[in-house]
Amino acid sequence: MKCSLPKTAGCILIALCSILQVQFAFAREGHKTRSSHRPASVIRFIIAAPPGNHPVYLFDKEVRGTVLDSANHPMSGVSVTVKDVANIGTTTDINGKFILNVPNDNAVLVFSMVGYASQEIPVKGKEVINLQLKSSAGSLDDVVVVAYGKQRKRDVIGSVTTITPSELKVPSSNLTTALAGRLAGVIAYQRSGEPGQDNAEFFIRGATTFGYKKDPLILIDGIEYTSTELARLQVDDIAQFSILKDATASAVYGARGANGVILVTTKEGKQGKAKINIRLENSISAPTKDVKLADPVTYMRMANEASITRGVLNVPYDQSKIDNTEAGVNKYMFPATDWKKELFKKSTINQRGNFSVSGGGGVANYFIAGSYTKDNGIMKVDKKNNFNNNIDLKTYNLRSNIGLKVTRTTDVMVRLYGSFDDYTGPITGGSQMYRNVMRSNPVLFPASFPLDAEHFGVHHILFGNAERGFFLNPYADMVRGYKQSTKSLMVAQFELKQDLSFLTQGLNFRAMTNTNRQSAFDVSRAYIPFYYTAPANSYDKVTNTYHLLGINPDGGTDFVDLLSGGGRTVVSTFYLEAAANYNRNFGKHGISAMVISILRSQLEAGASSLQESLPFRNQGLSGRTTYNYDNRYFAEFNFGYNGSERFYKTERFGFFPSVGGAWMVSNEKFFEPAKSIVTKLKLRGNYGMTGNDKIGDKEDRFFYLSEVRIGAPANAASFGTNGAYSRPGVSVSRYENYDITWETATNSTFGLEVGLFNKIEIIAEYFTEKRRNILMDRTLPSTLGLQVTPKANLGQAKSRSFEISVDYSSRFGRDLFVSARGNFTYAKNKFVAYEEPLYDEWYKSRIGHPVKQQWGYIAERLFVDDEEVSNSPTQTFGSRPVAGGDIKFRDVNRDGVINTLDQVPIGYPTSPEIVYGFGASLKYKGFDVSGFFQGSARSSFWIDVEATTPFVSYLYDGEKFGTPGTNPTFPTGTQLQNQLLKAYADNHWSESNRNLYALWPRLDNQLNGNNNQPSTWFMRNGDFLRLKQVELGYSLPTGMAKRIHLESLRVYSNATNLLNFSKFNIWDVEMGGNGLGYPVQKVINFGIQVGL
Amino acid sequence: MKKILLYTIILCGVFSSCKKYLDVVPDNIATIDYAFTLRTSAEKYLFNCFSYMPAHGNFNFNPAMSAGDEVWYMDPPLDVSGAVNFWNIARGQQNASDPWGDFWLGQRQGKNLWIAIRDCNIFLDNIHKVPDMQSYEKERWKAEVLFLKAYYQFYLMRMYGPIPLVKTNMPITSTPEEVKVSRDPVDSGFNYIVQLLDEAAANDNMPDRIIGTEALELGRITKTIVKAFKAKVLVTAASPLFNGNTDYPNFKTVAGVQLFNQTFNKSKWQRAVDACREAVDFCHANGHALFYMGPNSSFVVNDTLRKQLDLRGALNVKEANNNEIIWANTSSMADINMQRWTMPILATLAISGSGPKGILAPPIKMAELFYSKNGVPITEDKTWNFGQRFDLKTATAADKFYVKDGEQTVKLHFDREPRFYASMAFDRGIWLGNWVNNYDYTKALLYPKARRGEFSAKQGVSNWSVTGYWIKKLVSLSTAADKDGALTYENYPWPEIRLSDLYLLYAEALNELNGPGAETYKWINLVRQRAGLQSVEDSWTNFSNEPSKHTNQNGLRQIIHQERMIELAFEGQRYWDLKRWKEAHVVLNGPIAGWNTVATDATSYYKPVVLYSQAFNMRDYFWPIEIQEVLKNRNILQTPGW
Repeated sequence: MKCSLPKTAGCILIALCSILQVQFAFAREGHKTRSSHRPASVIRFIIAAPPGNHPVYLFDKEVRGTVLDSANHPMSGVSVTVKDVANIGTTTDINGKFILNVPNDNAVLVFSMVGYASQEIPVKGKEVINLQLKSSAGSLDDVVVVAYGKQRKRDVIGSVTTITPSELKVPSSNLTTALAGRLAGVIAYQRSGEPGQDNAEFFIRGATTFGYKKDPLILIDGIEYTSTELARLQVDDIAQFSILKDATASAVYGARGANGVILVTTKEGKQGKAKINIRLENSISAPTKDVKLADPVTYMRMANEASITRGVLNVPYDQSKIDNTEAGVNKYMFPATDWKKELFKKSTINQRGNFSVSGGGGVANYFIAGSYTKDNGIMKVDKKNNFNNNIDLKTYNLRSNIGLKVTRTTDVMVRLYGSFDDYTGPITGGSQMYRNVMRSNPVLFPASFPLDAEHFGVHHILFGNAERGFFLNPYADMVRGYKQSTKSLMVAQFELKQDLSFLTQGLNFRAMTNTNRQSAFDVSRAYIPFYYTAPANSYDKVTNTYHLLGINPDGGTDFVDLLSGGGRTVVSTFYLEAAANYNRNFGKHGISAMVISILRSQLEAGASSLQESLPFRNQGLSGRTTYNYDNRYFAEFNFGYNGSERFYKTERFGFFPSVGGAWMVSNEKFFEPAKSIVTKLKLRGNYGMTGNDKIGDKEDRFFYLSEVRIGAPANAASFGTNGAYSRPGVSVSRYENYDITWETATNSTFGLEVGLFNKIEIIAEYFTEKRRNILMDRTLPSTLGLQVTPKANLGQAKSRSFEISVDYSSRFGRDLFVSARGNFTYAKNKFVAYEEPLYDEWYKSRIGHPVKQQWGYIAERLFVDDEEVSNSPTQTFGSRPVAGGDIKFRDVNRDGVINTLDQVPIGYPTSPEIVYGFGASLKYKGFDVSGFFQGSARSSFWIDVEATTPFVSYLYDGEKFGTPGTNPTFPTGTQLQNQLLKAYADNHWSESNRNLYALWPRLDNQLNGNNNQPSTWFMRNGDFLRLKQVELGYSLPTGMAKRIHLESLRVYSNATNLLNFSKFNIWDVEMGGNGLGYPVQKVINFGIQVGL
Repeated sequence: MKKILLYTIILCGVFSSCKKYLDVVPDNIATIDYAFTLRTSAEKYLFNCFSYMPAHGNFNFNPAMSAGDEVWYMDPPLDVSGAVNFWNIARGQQNASDPWGDFWLGQRQGKNLWIAIRDCNIFLDNIHKVPDMQSYEKERWKAEVLFLKAYYQFYLMRMYGPIPLVKTNMPITSTPEEVKVSRDPVDSGFNYIVQLLDEAAANDNMPDRIIGTEALELGRITKTIVKAFKAKVLVTAASPLFNGNTDYPNFKTVAGVQLFNQTFNKSKWQRAVDACREAVDFCHANGHALFYMGPNSSFVVNDTLRKQLDLRGALNVKEANNNEIIWANTSSMADINMQRWTMPILATLAISGSGPKGILAPPIKMAELFYSKNGVPITEDKTWNFGQRFDLKTATAADKFYVKDGEQTVKLHFDREPRFYASMAFDRGIWLGNWVNNYDYTKALLYPKARRGEFSAKQGVSNWSVTGYWIKKLVSLSTAADKDGALTYENYPWPEIRLSDLYLLYAEALNELNGPGAETYKWINLVRQRAGLQSVEDSWTNFSNEPSKHTNQNGLRQIIHQERMIELAFEGQRYWDLKRWKEAHVVLNGPIAGWNTVATDATSYYKPVVLYSQAFNMRDYFWPIEIQEVLKNRNILQTPGW
């Protein structure tokens, strides 16, 4: 059977129909043979008793009662259900009261509420049931969202971390920034603070793959999304947030779950009257740390020194210019431009608001939520322009989860979600503005000149520039225009649940289909700035006046025009899953089974090659069976049988099983005596495999195919006097390889869960993983003549991690509630196999070193003088001979030459091996206060020498020159000149101050190849500890709120990134080597939350 | 339980019926086999084989232009990002960690020529499969690719010395041990190259010369190209660097095979002479001749200026009646970039963003290289005061076609041979022709003014010559800047081999084989004659303070070498010639000087400023192989000294 999407959907439909038919037939049979007093209906599905039992009489008994908490306050919103009977249930009202019709006297009522231990009470003839619910510090009956389902916390064998959504609340419109340090086993750091670009990078445990996808699978309501969608998610909409870390937990996701899984479910409505929740926030944000630059006079002196000290005769700045600038003679003629001040404000204000309505009746329940956030950048706007070039990111989300009870056994859920970004901002983005400032000359011209008599009538800004106008004026670049972009995500999801208890108790079937479309585009509009210069010969010393000269009177425009080359992306995804679940207890034996099949297809627009244009697909069949005996012994088996379009037929499917077991020691009889102290003791362990197909680069998915471009322009040749007969050539970007296969990870986890005094819960885990078949480049000699290096599944890496989390919560008296928690993750990895040349130097081998280990030279100190250079091992790097004041490297192999063979593993890996967080919160009556610290340790980063070398021109990756109008980063010919960091100006080697351990080596007027080598000189310790968040809040007492017709009211203020402790102080250490970009922000936030 | 089974079966059914769900790839996706199913795609593959030729017409890609001492750049270098890779070699910064201009790995502005060779082999192995092609055309293409295969191997040998000869391709599935090839001795290398060239030349389907179809086919490989190139290969093989070079006695393969022959073998010069003769005769038979400007050109010039046009036009195959170019590389035009970067700014307001930049700066030693007007070196000319060459002199009306009359410049710029004025531009030196249609000697002639503040001097950050010299030779006669600096330009195919090159190779080979003699003099004198000089015999006898220098083999060798460096200056030959002759460690070891370009007056401007002290070590004769590459294949031994 040839398969296509509609047909596949058909397959599922047929499957569904056949189920319904069977059921219908069954119901009809029942009607014929059994009692006839029950109305028969062809469209209504009814609960049928298992064969042999008597028919069930529905709703013949009413039970009422009141639920109180431990302080004897009535509890509203407690869910009351009948055990093992779906669809009968209610919630308590404001006074903690409930009324429920139950089927019969044998029914068992289940009272549950998040954060409280649920209770089961048999009806047994009672008409009134009053009870107290106890709050649960890590309640054993908490439900945890696991792969394709939910499990009671005590049944969980795999490594799953859950977090209460409220703990993820940060005063940021970016949820990812809340992950670091809050979840054991998650490594996260934030490299930029630019609105819209400030996603934290995060990995689960030590990600050891080289593949293009290292971040975990993110599933929101079962559907895969990117971290951007996770970032946009509103914490208020989240019902549950879990992280699955090992094979047992994630095996059923097979290929997709190899790097861990983040599972989020959004809230659903509950029966009851509409509940409205509104939250409004307003925050102020400012950079955590400002990179300090040298003052303009120092800049000029050092620039001259950089030339003179390297023997270059003509210095860039005349002494008279320096003197005049220092004296402040004329700020337009002798400018000292503080570009940062010209471009950026000190702080900015952001707003967020969201609301939700939830509720439900007998047939339907609903949860509808909307949110609006407005993030502003920190750029200034020139009043002369009539447009806004500052970053203004507006995000709108609308979510609607509607559940319908189609029949007594059939539930339908429709989820619709839309997320929309409207962005305006600088044409090349906010980070670019920071980078531009770092590459602008502070003494050549002012940002703009005031209108003088001669130019009185002009409508444009007189932007400053010098000579022929090829210098970067970052102000002109910023205010010349703006970019508008929009991004949208539309999601439609349909879920169907069919209870099949009439076949056999505990069986149900469900199917879900989802389709979503993401699209984004941007347009940019700008004018071409008019540049002016005040030439040196126009300056009249006597009158202190200058004369302005237009540099590009023909080149500029005073009207805004469209820039070509806007980006556009469209991604469409289709997903389908169907599953059967079985879950039943037989006395002390509990068993469950699940089998699920999925299809996923994603198509992306804008492919640049045929192979890229082909859909990304996954197909899988997974299953899980669990068994427990007497809630003491647990066992679980999972498997994923997954297919990926990326591999050759023989390798296309992979089978990834896992097994696990747990022992709840505290449920044993012999443990009874200790139970008052150790309220819980659970040991668990598991072993399993996962597979990863996202290996290599996204561009070369089809490893079994060669990728040949017949007609490659880069390989063209031309003939004829004028080269008129030209033909493109043939290029190969991949050679076929039928053997490329899954990267597989075998992992095992040992966990220990301890509960103490019902107040402390400790979870400790030890995790090991071995990844095999890591795709990597072959080391083939160049003489083979291959256009690209073939790859093979050659690498192997091992990782280990230890995680511990401790939670403490306790109530003191009626009014005081204290909780504290901490977590710690130590993850380490290393290569076990790596194809590399045969080195004579043992330290060159990557084997045994972390995946993110860096190699570099050992910098001993700076050379004393040229004579020492000539008496030392030869260092030939870059374009100039090494001189005194340059970095001296150690000749590790003692062959008299410093070359790559002398590079040794230096520092820690670039991502931290230790991540930890701790915090506490305290609640007294209506007041609450909390604080949370986050830290990381054992990581190294390197100061980007090229980006910080003063006076040289540096182009970041991805930046390009081009003709204006085509939207390049810079117009062709733009001269970039790095600024001088104050730290370097204050502490560098100079001929007069030969500090052999200065921060910066001898100055140079160009990028110094020697000092730019990877070495320990610019290696820095990435450790830090920061006060990630503090919060102070006050909730109005319920009674008082009532009086003003509110359910609840809370006002609060919180702040992020207020304090930071680190050894590195040039910029925010968390930004690592990217310190000159848009700084990480500290935010102070004020909010109000209202429930109606 | 039966029902469970049923649903399980349904679920599995959904799954298994869609096994083909993952077959997303269409059947006829392009693979390498598709390159040889049609003539049009096979043609692309042919062009692909050509595409690896280093783009010598662009200074950013021509290693020889920047790796030696012909041009120098400002420091820090601006707007020459590609050439800097080679310039770093000139500045003694070559290294094995990350070699500059690495043609072995294709990094740092080098091209990976092993890929080129592999692609040539793929072409040779598959071209017979193309169904819709006539066999004569297949044969012609095949002969061209044989040539290219030879060319690429020669290119590598000239750089790296002995190389592994890739006669046939190794399959991609070869074992790691199989791919560990060894270097082959230099003699085997040259023999193999010559064998390929002979095979190409023996193919009757290769045209002798492109005549009549130049508009579409110029630049395709012809027998004249193959034969001229063969002459060059064999002269190289006979030269001291490869013939009895005893600097590398211990350079042997792992198996012990000596890579450099250790004894000089004169018969190699015999082979070279034979090849040169064959090439010259064949070129003549096909109408090649030295270029002289036709009388009917539209230029209004006198004899002095006409000579300039003869010399500048010789490089440009597009000049009417130019039969001098044997191999015009149409895939690598000396385009606007090459010409802008060499041309000075010639008027105050000529600072258009796309106008002349004049960055490529020849050092003073290049100006000293050229002969005096008497056709002998300025160090030897009895009538020319070498000691006073840096003294100032004011030009008179007699000098006015070379130096602006009434202006001051150094004596070095007076009384020089026409090739000096045709090849280089300097402060106050005449630049014939600019603005559009300004080839009229009766009108005011243009000249650069290069002292500080003047229009040809440093204005802004880049766009100036660090030495005060410019390369005039590479600017096409039809390229002109307008008064605002905007260029009207003519591209011309880069002259890879021209007849005067071949004549001088022939003269050199004859001198090495037989010493001085009428036959030897004949070929060098043809070149001198076109340069407006007297014969070697007359010039030396009459003007040199070593009047009999040309009569002994050693003296004549020096003369031929200098003649060659002058005639082919700035054409990317000098660097390779100096190495081939084993003279690089002498010539490339010394100061690089330019004029004091920051000075405003003539007296201080004309003070030589040492820009750099060049050092050339013996190991620099051959380029290092990147360290990892030597470790990946321990059979490839690192070049000695690295």
